[in-house]
Amino acid sequence: MSDGSVKQFKKEVKPVWCPGCGNYGVLSAVFQAFGRLDVPREDIVLVSGIGCSSRLPGYVNVYGFNSVHGRSLPIATGVKLAKPELTVVAVGGDGDALSIGGGHIPHIARRNVDITFLIMDNSIYALTKGQASPTTPFDDITTTSTYGTIDEPLDAVSLALAYGVSFVARGHSADVKHLASLIVEGIHHPGFALIHIISPCITWRGMKGYDEIKERTYYLDERHDPADKAQAVAVSLEKERLPLGIIYRERRPTYWERILGQREDAKSRGVPSIETLLNQFVP
Amino acid sequence: MRTDLTLGIAGSGGDGVIVAGDFLVWAAASEGLYSFMLKSFGSQIRGGESSCKIRVGEDPILSQGDKLDVLVAFNWKDYAKFRSELEIKEGAVVLCDSADPTPDEDIPLPRSAHPVLYKIPLQQIAASRTGRGPGKNMVMLGVLSEMFGFHADAIQAALRKRFQKKGDAVVDLNLGLFEAGAAYVREHVQRRDQLIFSYRRAEPKMVISGNEALALGAIAAGVGFFAGYPITPASEIIEYLARLMPLYDGVWVQAEDEIAALGMALGASYSGKRAMTATSGPGLSLMNEMIGLASLAEIPVVIVDVQRVGPSTGMPTKSEQSDLQQALYGTHGDAPRVVLAPADVEDCFTVAMDAVCIAEEYQLPVIILSDQFIGQRKESVPKFDANRIKVCERPVPGPGELSNFKRYLLNESGISPMSFPGIKHGEYTAAGIEHDEYGNPTSSPQMHEQMNAKRFRKLETLRRRWPYVRRYGSSGAEVGVIGWGSSKGAIKEAILRAEEHGIKVAGLVPQLIYPPAYEDFEAFLKPLKKVIVVEMSYSAQFLKYLKSSYRLPDDVVLLKRSGGIPFTVEEIYRKIEQEVTGGVRV
Repeated sequence: MSDGSVKQFKKEVKPVWCPGCGNYGVLSAVFQAFGRLDVPREDIVLVSGIGCSSRLPGYVNVYGFNSVHGRSLPIATGVKLAKPELTVVAVGGDGDALSIGGGHIPHIARRNVDITFLIMDNSIYALTKGQASPTTPFDDITTTSTYGTIDEPLDAVSLALAYGVSFVARGHSADVKHLASLIVEGIHHPGFALIHIISPCITWRGMKGYDEIKERTYYLDERHDPADKAQAVAVSLEKERLPLGIIYRERRPTYWERILGQREDAKSRGVPSIETLLNQFVP
Repeated sequence: MRTDLTLGIAGSGGDGVIVAGDFLVWAAASEGLYSFMLKSFGSQIRGGESSCKIRVGEDPILSQGDKLDVLVAFNWKDYAKFRSELEIKEGAVVLCDSADPTPDEDIPLPRSAHPVLYKIPLQQIAASRTGRGPGKNMVMLGVLSEMFGFHADAIQAALRKRFQKKGDAVVDLNLGLFEAGAAYVREHVQRRDQLIFSYRRAEPKMVISGNEALALGAIAAGVGFFAGYPITPASEIIEYLARLMPLYDGVWVQAEDEIAALGMALGASYSGKRAMTATSGPGLSLMNEMIGLASLAEIPVVIVDVQRVGPSTGMPTKSEQSDLQQALYGTHGDAPRVVLAPADVEDCFTVAMDAVCIAEEYQLPVIILSDQFIGQRKESVPKFDANRIKVCERPVPGPGELSNFKRYLLNESGISPMSFPGIKHGEYTAAGIEHDEYGNPTSSPQMHEQMNAKRFRKLETLRRRWPYVRRYGSSGAEVGVIGWGSSKGAIKEAILRAEEHGIKVAGLVPQLIYPPAYEDFEAFLKPLKKVIVVEMSYSAQFLKYLKSSYRLPDDVVLLKRSGGIPFTVEEIYRKIEQEVTGGVRV
C-alpha cells in the first residue's frame, strides 16, 4: 500500500521543461494527488501522447506509457479494460488532446471509461517551437500565424460537456493544491473525468497564460451545483471569466460495468468448450 | 461417373444463390466430402447479382477448380456478369430457368463448348407452391440432387436444421419445394448416367471460412482483448469475436477507427493481455504509426489484414496480394515486425495461434496477411484438432530481475522480460521515444544503434526457431514455383498435375514471410535453374521482396496479375508446362 508520501513517486529523471513552465505545477499536483490516493505505485498507470506535457509519465515512479501524438486515450482505454483494477490517468497537451486526438474524446465519453484525462493547455505547440494550437486565441501571432490566427480557438470544457463527459473540471498550474484536489476527485469519479488545466508556456507565450489566470479566472463556490448540467453549460459559456473547479459531475454506468453486465448475461446461457465451438461447424 | 465436381450458380440478389450454395456445401460436409465454395458479388448492400462456385470431391480440395462441370443460371443477364469467373467446360451441363426469355442464340455461353442445356421451370414450380417468386433455389437443389445423385437425405437434413428455428411450416414448405424439383426431374428429364456424382461417405467435415477459422484460432490462443473497426472483408472476424469474447471473459471493443483499435490493443497488451485487431488494407494504412510504436516500445500485438483489391477503396469485395509491401515496410523508421501468411482456411486457425505465440514471446507486432479469397470462402476440412492448440506465455521478470529492473535489457536474444502494471518493482515507462534499458528517453546516437540492434536481434532469434515454409513437388526438379498466401492451393494442384504429366517441378510456399527464412529458401533454390514466381499483384511486390532477400536463379519467370479473380490451376499449370518443356515464352 502507499505510505502516503509524495516522495516515493518522484523519479531521478530531470524534466526537460523550460524554467517557469506550467507543467512543473501539474507534475507537483500529480505527485500530491497520488500521495493522497490509497493505491500502490504498481497499480497506477500514466499514459501520454507526444509533446512537452506528454513527457510527464517519464518523471513519475509508476507504470507509464509515452506513446504517439494524440493517441493516449485509446491506449489508456486498452490499459484500463485489460486490468480494470488499475488507476489510469491520461495526460496530454492541447494539440494532443484537441487537435490530432480530438476525435477520441466523444467516444471515450460515450463509453464512460473510468480514466482521468488531464489536458495541459498552454495554447501553443511548444515542443515544436511555437506554432499555433487549437486553443491559441484568435488573432494571436505565432510562428505559423505571422499575420494572426484566423481560426477560432476550441474550448475543452464546452466540448466535454457537449460530448457527455461525466466529470468535467478546470484548474490551473499555479494553484497546485486546488489542482491536486481536482485530480483526486477525478480519479475517484467512476467514469471518464476530463480536467482542463491552464498550464502556461512562458517560452512561446510569455506571461500571457499567467496573466489570463490572474485576470480571467474565478473559483466556483457552493452556489454552483455540479449535478446541474444546464448550470454547467451556462458557466462554461462565460468567456470573460473562466470558472475553476468541478463544473459537472454525473454518476452513470462505466464501460467496465456494462462489459461485466453483458458478460454475465452472455455466460448465463452457457460457455462452450473449444471442442463444442469446433463442433458448431460440423453439420 | 464423377468424383470431383465443379459447379457454378449465378443469379439476382433475391434468387438465393448463396443460400443454395451453403446448403450444398453443408450437405457435402455431412457426407464426409471435401468442398470449397467461393462467393462473388459486387459491393452493393442488397440486391444486385451474385454467384458462387463450389467444388466437391472425395479427396482434399486445393483450389476452386477451373471450368465448370455444371452451371446453374437463374437468369442469363446476371450470368453474363460472371462469365469470366464461371467459365464452362467442354460438354458442361447447364441448368437454367425456362422463365428466362433469352432466345437460345443469345445465351452467353461459348458454342464451342457444346453445353448440354436443360431448361427447368424453376420459377413456375416455386410459384405453384409459394404463390410468389421465392423458393427457386430450393427447387433447384431438388433438381440437382436428383440429376446428379447427391444423397437427398443429406440436403434435406441441412434444410431441416437451417429452418428449424422458423417453425415446422417453413421446414415443410422448403422440403416441399426441394421434393417438387426432384419430382420434376423424375417425370420430365431423362437422367443420364454420366452425370452421376459418385462418392463414398466418410466422417463429417467442418464447414468454415478463413475468417471464422482465424477468430477461433484467436480464442484458442487465449486472446483476451480484441478491438476492431468494421471493414470488408475482415468484418466476419470482428463480428464473430464480438459474440465469442464475452463468453471467455475477454474484452471486445468496437473502436472509433483503426488507429484507436490498434491503440487499445497496445494498451491492453501493455497491461498483460494477449491482444489482437483485424482490418483490411485501408485500415492497416491508418495503423502504420501505431505499428512503429509497437515495434519500438516492444509491445506484443497481432494485426490481421484480410487483403482486398487496392489501392484506396479499390474493389473491397475482391481479393489481391498487394498489401505485402505495406506489411513489410509500412511505418517510418526501422521497425522490426513479423509477417505471417496463412495459405488456406485451415491455416487461418493455426497461423492465428502461432502469431499470438510469436507476438507474446518476441514482443513485437505480428501482421497476419490473409486475404478475401481465404477469409470469405467456405471450405469443408477435417475438424481442427483441439489437442494441437498452442497457448504461449510472454517472458515476465523473475524476482531476481526486479531489484534493478531493466525493461529493455540489452541481451543476446534481444528478448527482454516484460513486466506489466500490477507487478511491484517492475514499474517502467513504455516509450515510443528512443530509450535506454530502463525506458528513460534518450537521444544518444549510440544508444539508438544498440537498441535498433537489440530489436532486430529478436528477428534473428525467431528466424532460427520458426522455419515456416511448405515444400511441394519433386526434389530433383530444375524448375521451381514460389508463391505465397492464398495462391498456394492452385500452385500445389498445378504442381501435382504437372507431375502426373511427367513434368518435374518443385514448389515453395512460405508462411513466414518476414523475417526471411534464409536456410529453407537456400536449400530450395540451390538445385534450381529457373524459378516461377506467382503472385496477385500488378507491380510484382513479392518478386521484388524475394530479389532483395534471396539469391534467385538468373532465369526468373513472373506469373502475376491484378486481383479480382483467384489464380486457376490451369493458369499456373500452363505456365509450368511452358517453362519446363521450353514452350514459347509470353
